[in-house]
Amino acid sequence: MNKVWAITRKELAAYFKSPVAYIILFVTICVFNMFFFMIIDSNREATLRDVFKVMEFLFVFIVPLLTMKTFAEEKASGTMEFLMTTPTRNTQIVFGKYLGSIIFFTLIIAMTSVYYFIIELFAAPDRAAVLTGYLGVWLEGAMFIAIGLLISSLTQSQIVAAICSYIVLFLLYFSTSFTQYTHGAVEEVVRYTATFSHAENFAAGLITTSDLTYYLSTIIFCLVLTRISIENRLWR
Amino acid sequence: MIRTEKLTKYFGSTQALKGVSFEIQKGEIVGFLGRNGAGKTTLMRVLTSYLPASSGHVIIDGKDVLKHSLAIRQKIGYLPETPPLYSNMTVREYVRFAAQLKDVPAKKISAQVEKVLDQCYLRNVAHRTISILSKGYQQRVGIAQAIVNDPEILILDEPTNGLDPVQIQRVRELIRNLEEERTVIISTHILSEIEQIAERVLIIKDGMIVADDTLSNLLCDEQGWQQSLEDVFLRLNQ
Repeated sequence: MNKVWAITRKELAAYFKSPVAYIILFVTICVFNMFFFMIIDSNREATLRDVFKVMEFLFVFIVPLLTMKTFAEEKASGTMEFLMTTPTRNTQIVFGKYLGSIIFFTLIIAMTSVYYFIIELFAAPDRAAVLTGYLGVWLEGAMFIAIGLLISSLTQSQIVAAICSYIVLFLLYFSTSFTQYTHGAVEEVVRYTATFSHAENFAAGLITTSDLTYYLSTIIFCLVLTRISIENRLWR
Repeated sequence: MIRTEKLTKYFGSTQALKGVSFEIQKGEIVGFLGRNGAGKTTLMRVLTSYLPASSGHVIIDGKDVLKHSLAIRQKIGYLPETPPLYSNMTVREYVRFAAQLKDVPAKKISAQVEKVLDQCYLRNVAHRTISILSKGYQQRVGIAQAIVNDPEILILDEPTNGLDPVQIQRVRELIRNLEEERTVIISTHILSEIEQIAERVLIIKDGMIVADDTLSNLLCDEQGWQQSLEDVFLRLNQ
């Protein structure tokens, strides 16, 4: 556990030692604030449901920026050779890096909690729905990060990692739009794969086993694949 | 202490190692000598378990490197050809990070880090960010991470590559100070370096060992005349 934490701290320090972290935090919060104002101003409802939808959409853009360097940079700079010749398990390396990105991402989400207090000040929002909504947004981000981590572990180039992550996340996010071209079982599969249909339930205050399974199983699947990918020595 | 048996390594259709076998005793200082691309780096990577051999075995202290890779890695300090440095960390942060990953007990980490910083003459730059250090300092930071857990075996891949003469001298001094009670394997294509440091030389050519002897034996020809290491090296590489 100590090693996992050491890697996590190193990852977090790397974020905050580069201006990228501050730019991401600043731009994200500015954009979120703008949408929060626009949504509340037009809906005139004491709910964060639409805000969550916008947040999820924006995470498709933000997460690849967070994850692109996790493994790609280590491979390109040769530090992967250092990590993998220390007595550290590959699982610990993957967990450490995942935790680092998750903590940074949680920080972004935590900064938006002020929205809840703002609407609480003026009306009586459904507290349970706000909590489940946050859980949904967090799970979706955690899943995106697991996907980004996996893709970063497959390449040495941060740009390739970012572009491929964008492609996969866009496909996952927008796959509900493809359902009109599919029928029967295929349509069901496409609908289930789309993140959109799962996040919606959380925002409405519903936690279902199906949605939880979707997020958690994808996260575990991607982390296991990441571990296999760094173990695979073809790239060395 | 280290035994390899008929190691081969293929990269696609290219064969980088062709049946390498040798044995290194505890406390020996062995130089791997060979031209660029002879297979020195591949051999070192196989010894550290970073690369698996295509066939053959590496046995360290009676244990197969691939089967007991975590236990073996605790005993090895490894400096790759390009020092594996996190450029945004300070020297002290990086050495501490290496100590944490290399199972140095939590209570001893601070003392061990300071000891290694002194050993590698890094105290005056300990608070500096690695990216702004000169190549010589960066190389020493690389050595510092390799020795932070007092490994029994030290594997250094071209530790003086690209340094200026003064820096080379400093790194060699450092390596000589580290030799006590350690098995040291050092690879290089600089002949004078081997003469200054190693007791035994393995000359590698095209993935095969073409000479394996003590330095003094290598420097004597069949008639007992002294010859230079350069002559031996050039003759074997013709």
